[in-house]
Amino acid sequence: MTQIFTVTDLNLRIADRLENDPRLHDLWARGEVSNYLHHRSGHRYFTLKDQGSQISCVLFKNNGQSLGFEMKDGKNVLVFGDVSVYRPQGRVQLVARAVKPDEGLGFRHLELEALKKKLEGEGLFALERKRALPLYPERIGIVTSPQGAALRDVLRTIGSYPARIILSPAQVQGDGAEESIAAALCALRSKADVIIVCRGGGSTEDLWCFNSEVVARAIFSCDVPVISAVGHETDVTIADYVADSRAATPTAAAKMAVPDVEEIKERMRITRVRMMRALWTGLERKEERLEYLKHTFSAKRMHSLARDLRQRLDYLCEGLNFAQANKLQILKSRLELAEGRLAAVGPQATLQRGYAIARSRQGLILRARDARPGEEIELILGQGKLLCRVLECRDEREALL
Amino acid sequence: MTKNEMGLEEALDSLEQIVEVLEEGKMTLEESLDQYEKGMKLVKLCNARLEGAQRRIECLTGELPPDLA
Repeated sequence: MTQIFTVTDLNLRIADRLENDPRLHDLWARGEVSNYLHHRSGHRYFTLKDQGSQISCVLFKNNGQSLGFEMKDGKNVLVFGDVSVYRPQGRVQLVARAVKPDEGLGFRHLELEALKKKLEGEGLFALERKRALPLYPERIGIVTSPQGAALRDVLRTIGSYPARIILSPAQVQGDGAEESIAAALCALRSKADVIIVCRGGGSTEDLWCFNSEVVARAIFSCDVPVISAVGHETDVTIADYVADSRAATPTAAAKMAVPDVEEIKERMRITRVRMMRALWTGLERKEERLEYLKHTFSAKRMHSLARDLRQRLDYLCEGLNFAQANKLQILKSRLELAEGRLAAVGPQATLQRGYAIARSRQGLILRARDARPGEEIELILGQGKLLCRVLECRDEREALL
Repeated sequence: MTKNEMGLEEALDSLEQIVEVLEEGKMTLEESLDQYEKGMKLVKLCNARLEGAQRRIECLTGELPPDLA
């Protein structure tokens, strides 16, 4: 038999069924807040949704007093509560007893995680492909909104650094922002040495375009290093992962892009000093050498050199004298020796024994006929001599008695 | 690139090289004076670039906002 319900009865029956199912009590649900309404009664009404579905939620005043964060559309939350049916409208709803912020784990964040994984797998975040920033860029491309404070921050920070700044305007939030940023990046091809892509702080919603695939790929295919600076320090987008360098703020990005002018000036000053010093050192070294040479050839030194030479000469002379004297001595001894030997063979010894040598002007008188009567002759004795006159010359036979 | 168009980076690099060569001190006096002169010219060039540079802002599409033009 077919039962016919009144609508009220039907909803009552559904309510009974759902509200008595223990699996629909004390549960956690995850989703993104939308249609958020904080009613003057103090109750909060919102829709919790994900990619495929949604459910109405209510957080009554007594449960929402210690929320601890600001509920708003787009917020990803975890809701704890029970399923019930709002009978007047036959609406299934989640009666929340507690709501907690769900950091980065909402469906959009799940999508984001998936995109991150995909791009990472393709090597878009690889550290090896990050290019070093040029030290002294001559052309700086900036992709941002011409109206934004970020652009002014960047320009102020670049200050007086001498570079051409090429602004490539982009819409940095709202519908079409992703394509606009990607196009602005492409437009800088071969026009810059470094590119800054930036925007100031904003809600996660506002910054979301920097999480898009099209922007990631545009950054990846830039022909020069890209610095990303999106939002504040705590906001990290996919653009930041792909960029060659990530800066916490637009001001920080500009600081990264250009060297500090004062620092260069200091470096120049040091360089100048180093050059001067090197030149002076070189000069001093030559001067020292000159001084040394001068000293080497000074009169004083010459004098001392001459003195040394003289001394050496004296020394040599002395040596020579000594040698000479020695030689004389030797000669003298030799002479004495010879004298002795001569004496031994000479007539002296014989004369000492009583013989005499007779000598005329013609020489030795060996025979009587060597002299003539009346001639004066000399008799050499052992000591002294006698001058004698010859009385008579007798020949040999007569002389032998 | 002529000397006047030398970029800041190039000029600074050349300058560093000159300083290093000078500090090595292997050159004759004439050579080192020559290098010194060259170096001072580069210093001047770099300073001129830093001091006298007018920041030039261009916009690829549309007009620059009046406060930046």
